[in-house]
Amino acid sequence: MIYNGEQTKKQESGQISGEMYTIAVIPKVEGISYFEAAEEGAREAGEDLNVNVLFEGPPAADWKQQSTIIESFIQKEVDLIAVSANDPEKLGPVLQKAEEKGIKVMTWDSDTNAGYRELFINMVDPENLGRHVMDNLASEMGEEGEYAIMTGSHEAANVSEWMDYIVKQQKKAYPGMKLVEAVETEDNPQKSYLAAKKLLRDHPRLKGILGSSSVGPPAAVEAARDAGKAGAVAVTGLSTPNLMREYIKEGSARVVTLWSPKKLGYLTVSLAEQLLDGSTLKDGQHVGKVGNIKVKGDTVIMGLPIDFTRENINQYDF
Amino acid sequence: MISKLLENITLKNSRLSTKLIVTYILLTVIPMGLLGMLAYYEYTKSMEEKVGEYIPKLLKQANSNIENNLSELEKLPDSIYGSSDVMSILRDSSLKTQSQSYQEQFVVESFLTNMYLDNSSEILGAFLVTEDRAFISTRIPYEGFKPENWLLPPSEKPAPGEKVEFMFPGQTGLEFEGGPPYLLLKKQVTDVDNRKTLGTIFLAVNLAFIEEVLYDVEENENAAMWVMDKGGQVIFHTDAGEIGTLSSEIREYPLLNGSFQAREDGGRTLISVNQSARHNWILVHRIPLKDLTVGTDVVRNATIFTFLTLVAITTLISVFLAWSVTKPIKRLGRAMQEVEEGNWNVSIPIQAQDEVGALAQSFDSMLAEIRELIEKNYTTELRQKNAELYALQSQINPHFMYNTLQTINMAVEDGESDTVIEMVTLLGRMLRYSLSNKDRLVPISQETAHIEDYLKIQKYRFEERLTYLVQTEADADVYAVPKFILQPIVENSIKYGLEKRKGLHIEIWVEEMLNARGEKDIVFTIRDNGPGIEEETLEELKAKLQSDPMGKRDSGFGILNVHARVMLMFGSRYELQVESFAEKGTEITIQIPAISKNEAAGYSDTQEDGEGK
Repeated sequence: MIYNGEQTKKQESGQISGEMYTIAVIPKVEGISYFEAAEEGAREAGEDLNVNVLFEGPPAADWKQQSTIIESFIQKEVDLIAVSANDPEKLGPVLQKAEEKGIKVMTWDSDTNAGYRELFINMVDPENLGRHVMDNLASEMGEEGEYAIMTGSHEAANVSEWMDYIVKQQKKAYPGMKLVEAVETEDNPQKSYLAAKKLLRDHPRLKGILGSSSVGPPAAVEAARDAGKAGAVAVTGLSTPNLMREYIKEGSARVVTLWSPKKLGYLTVSLAEQLLDGSTLKDGQHVGKVGNIKVKGDTVIMGLPIDFTRENINQYDF
Repeated sequence: MISKLLENITLKNSRLSTKLIVTYILLTVIPMGLLGMLAYYEYTKSMEEKVGEYIPKLLKQANSNIENNLSELEKLPDSIYGSSDVMSILRDSSLKTQSQSYQEQFVVESFLTNMYLDNSSEILGAFLVTEDRAFISTRIPYEGFKPENWLLPPSEKPAPGEKVEFMFPGQTGLEFEGGPPYLLLKKQVTDVDNRKTLGTIFLAVNLAFIEEVLYDVEENENAAMWVMDKGGQVIFHTDAGEIGTLSSEIREYPLLNGSFQAREDGGRTLISVNQSARHNWILVHRIPLKDLTVGTDVVRNATIFTFLTLVAITTLISVFLAWSVTKPIKRLGRAMQEVEEGNWNVSIPIQAQDEVGALAQSFDSMLAEIRELIEKNYTTELRQKNAELYALQSQINPHFMYNTLQTINMAVEDGESDTVIEMVTLLGRMLRYSLSNKDRLVPISQETAHIEDYLKIQKYRFEERLTYLVQTEADADVYAVPKFILQPIVENSIKYGLEKRKGLHIEIWVEEMLNARGEKDIVFTIRDNGPGIEEETLEELKAKLQSDPMGKRDSGFGILNVHARVMLMFGSRYELQVESFAEKGTEITIQIPAISKNEAAGYSDTQEDGEGK
């Protein structure tokens, strides 16, 4: 041997062997297609990456129930808790408790205050999304008239942030439009339907409804149809293709916007695993089977929102 | 061990010059040879080390270039996600009419052409394979496209799909016209939104870019370079025939980043390797050592030439040295041999001042000494014999015999029978003394008795004209004397004394005395009142005694004979001395050591031994 250029042996990385990571993923609520799709993605990632994924959410979008679920995960001594928070502040104590037990905490879909978690995985840039959804509505309404917003809950950080930008965009670009009411629906289809019905009754000159919870737009379409105002009231917002496919195909709604919740679930588990491995994230980093992500400080943005229209809605199955 | 022993033995028995030559040569050739070899070895080694350190660095650079290129290429398949047209066609699995199907085919293949073939000249072809369709766009004709084989490598499970996989021509069976070396990049196309696998894209990448990188590293045509994956699958090789083969050597490599020597069919080679960090591709550079050390060959040849020259010179010097040392010794040896053969007059032609010269000189002087001793012993013996012969002769001196017989005759005529009896008795005794010549030394009493007998006979002849006295004061029976040392002197004295004088008185004294060294000597003094010896004659005689005691047999021979015998027998410290004054007489003294009879026997014997030689 003449020259040895071998570097000193690389440190054997972490605890790959031995135990599998257990990652607890908590959605805002169980039983709606959006989070069901997210669960699918999370479980797929769990299989691909060989980690144990526990997915459990409250029956209603309520922070107290989430807190209980988190408590039970702390009892189970999971390695990481990823929560889509129903309240940015109130989940703080239980998350801190988890951190004290050595459990890593991150948020996805909906953030808490930055102090309670290490990482937030956002689907889209909230400003970009908020303004874009407003643009879609304005285009449907001819940029004038009354409109209402149906949100999930005002407490949920993501929803309230989007709403900020929705309103900002309307005020800046569409002065002919007027927000008449913003109602909470707790991500509940039944409540959404009732809320939509009420909106149509209370505001006879209502020209558009923007649903910022995935159950909002279908409920609004149903309500408008039942009220005989199908086609007269423009409905758009955030919803899944599966919920909206029928309405879009028949023309009750022209466009809804969302991202792939499957992809979000997959990304959440992928990044949870990286966090447990101690690797740091870089802006523009490629995540397997997801694509490149944006990283700003402790926030990750998955990608751009997708508009589902009659032309493309058949391509999506969530 | 044994050979060394043999060498020792043969050296021991060989000639000195051979030994010297061998020693000199060994002393010079071995250290020079070792030094030369060491220098050459170290030089080559340092050269190899330098190159061995330098090439891996180049390789590392080249390998990272390749890896960068590869990383760029790896990103290419992802650009398909950018085309919503293509994505929607792929997502749509519903039944279509023939025309729809062809339209979609057109859209996707156009995309492949625009995206891959038009953008990157390195892409030979792009293949997008879905469950039921294949979209293909290539730069040059191809054959052997069997995607069903590509999708399921026999041994492995389908990979998770996120990573770009590499496939080699051997694995695919795909061949492009002109046979350019290529690599197939395989990547699964995933619908990230719907979480579905849409198909697989294959990009055939021309490996010419590797060649360019490698060309920058090495221009030596004897060097081989190749790229292989960690399993030994050769991805690219400067020898095109090797591409696609499986290299088994890799298992024998002691390391994957660095360089080492290996022995191959063609001799020793220097192999340098570098493994890239991400793909674990191994870049290998192999060059025969002899190509590497072309520069050192000059050094080696110069070293060998110098070495040989020095060996020749030192051999000459050693031969000359050995010759110059052994030649005088040989000459000395020859001289000695000549001496051994009996030639004592050898001249030794060595003038050197060194040890051999000293030896030669010693030998020369020893030879001279021996010559002298031989001369001396030889002549001494000869002259002693002569002297004794003369002494013997003088006993039967015809004149004396005649004169004595004449005297007896006259006494017979006168009827003096008593005188006759007396004379015959005396003569008889004298003859017997002469004949009893066995002993060289006799007691003093015998010698004095003999001289008295002689004087008595002469007294009968010359009657009153001759008177004599013999006086012995030494212990005449104990001490010995050489025979006939008195008679020649007395004869001489009578001869000259009675020639010119009417009467002659002779006295003989025998005395003991101590010489200068405190030893006892015997001194014989013969004194007469004859005519003496003339001054000139005396000087002449003394000179003869000094220089040539063995003079010719002329007058005075008797004295010289005695002197010679005394000197020869007892050494030059003992001698005969003559004092004479004209008209007054002569006194001759003979001094000899006091030798007892016992000693005399030994003396005689020694002399006998000397004679025998």
